[in-house]
Amino acid sequence: MREDGELDRRIAALLAEPAWQGHPLRSALAELYGEFGDLVRQLDRIMHISDRFQSVSREQSLSLHERYRKQLRQLEKMARISDRYQLMMRDLNEALKEASLRDVLTGIGNRRMLMERIKSEAARAERTGRPLTVAMVDVDRFKDVNDAYGHEAGDRALVEIARAIRSGIRDYDLCGRWGGEEFMVIMPEVGAGEGLGVVERIRAAVDGLDVYAGGARIALSASFGVAEHRAGTSVAETINRADSALLAAKRSGRNRCEVAA
Amino acid sequence: MDDLKIEGSQSTPAIFCDAVHGVVEMRGDSYPENSFELFSPVVAWIERYLRDSGQALMLRLHLLYLNTSSVKIMMDIFDLLNDAHAKGRAVSVHWFYDEQNERVAELAEEFREDCDFPFAISCQADSHA
Repeated sequence: MREDGELDRRIAALLAEPAWQGHPLRSALAELYGEFGDLVRQLDRIMHISDRFQSVSREQSLSLHERYRKQLRQLEKMARISDRYQLMMRDLNEALKEASLRDVLTGIGNRRMLMERIKSEAARAERTGRPLTVAMVDVDRFKDVNDAYGHEAGDRALVEIARAIRSGIRDYDLCGRWGGEEFMVIMPEVGAGEGLGVVERIRAAVDGLDVYAGGARIALSASFGVAEHRAGTSVAETINRADSALLAAKRSGRNRCEVAA
Repeated sequence: MDDLKIEGSQSTPAIFCDAVHGVVEMRGDSYPENSFELFSPVVAWIERYLRDSGQALMLRLHLLYLNTSSVKIMMDIFDLLNDAHAKGRAVSVHWFYDEQNERVAELAEEFREDCDFPFAISCQADSHA
C-alpha cells in the first residue's frame, strides 16, 4: 500500500484552500488526483493477486516435487521387487529344465536328454569328420530280479548299475536311462573299437556289482550293443544298429558286448 | 457391507473379502492379463471398508508369484493401509509362505519395508492347508 507522503499533504492543502476555489487549475488538479488514487489502488490489487498466484504456484510445485519423489521411490521399489520375482522364476525354470532332463530314479540323464545330446553330437561328428560311438545297454533278465526280490530291490539294482555305468565312462562320454532297464552311452570322438574297450569295462563292473536283497546277493549282468555313427545316416539308424548288436549279444548268451556291422 | 469373492485361476489368485470378520485373503499366483481390472474391485472394497466400518482389517496373503502390475497394486493397497493406520485404524498384514519357497519371504520383506502397520511374515508347512 502506498503511504500518504509530503506531496499528498501539499495537494490536499491546496485543494482545501478557499482562495483557489473556482480556479480552472484547481478542478483539473482535483480530477487528476482522483484518477491517480484509483490507479494506485488498482496497482495494489494487482500486486496482491499476483503475489497470491505466485505462492499458490510455489505450493503446487512443491507438492508436485514431493509427489514426483514419492512416485520415483515407488517405481524403484516396484522394479526391485519385480526383478526379484523374475529372478525367482528364472531359477525355477532352470531347476525345472534340469529336472526334465534327469531320470528321477537313477539321477543320470533321461531319454529326452539322451536324444538331445545324441543329435547334437551326431551333427558335430558330421561337421568335424570325427567318429562317434553309441552303446545300448540292457540289464539281463531284469524281470526275474523284480519277480524274485521285488521292485524295491530292482530299483536299487538299477541305481547301482547306473552308478557303475557313470563311473566307467570317460569325462567326455555321456550316459542316461533310455527307459525301463535300458541305458545308453554316448561316446564322442571314438570309433567302435575304442568304444568297445569302454563298454567292456562297464560290463565287467556291472557283473561285479554287489547288490543284496534280504541277505542274498543279486546276480546282475548286462548286455551291450555298440555302433559307430556312419556319416550321412540318421541318428535313428545308428540307434537301430546298436539295438541289433544288443540283440545279437543277448542271443549269444548275454553278459557280453557286440559291435554292429 | 457385502463380501467379495473372486475365483482363482492358474494366472490369478483366489480372493475373498470377508466383511464380517474384516479379513481379505488372497491365495495363489498373480500374473493376469489385466491386473487393474482384476484388482480394482478389491481396492474399491478395501477403500469402502476402511471408510464405512470402524472394525479392524487384516490381509492374509498366500501369494507366490506376482507380475509387475500386481506388485504395483499390492504396493497401492499397502499405501491405503498405511494411510488408515496413520488415522488410528487397526490394520495388519499376515503374509504366509511355503517352507519349500523361502524366497517368497524375502519378497514379502521387501514389501514390508515402508509399512508402518503390523506386518507378519510366517512359514506355513503347507500353505494350502
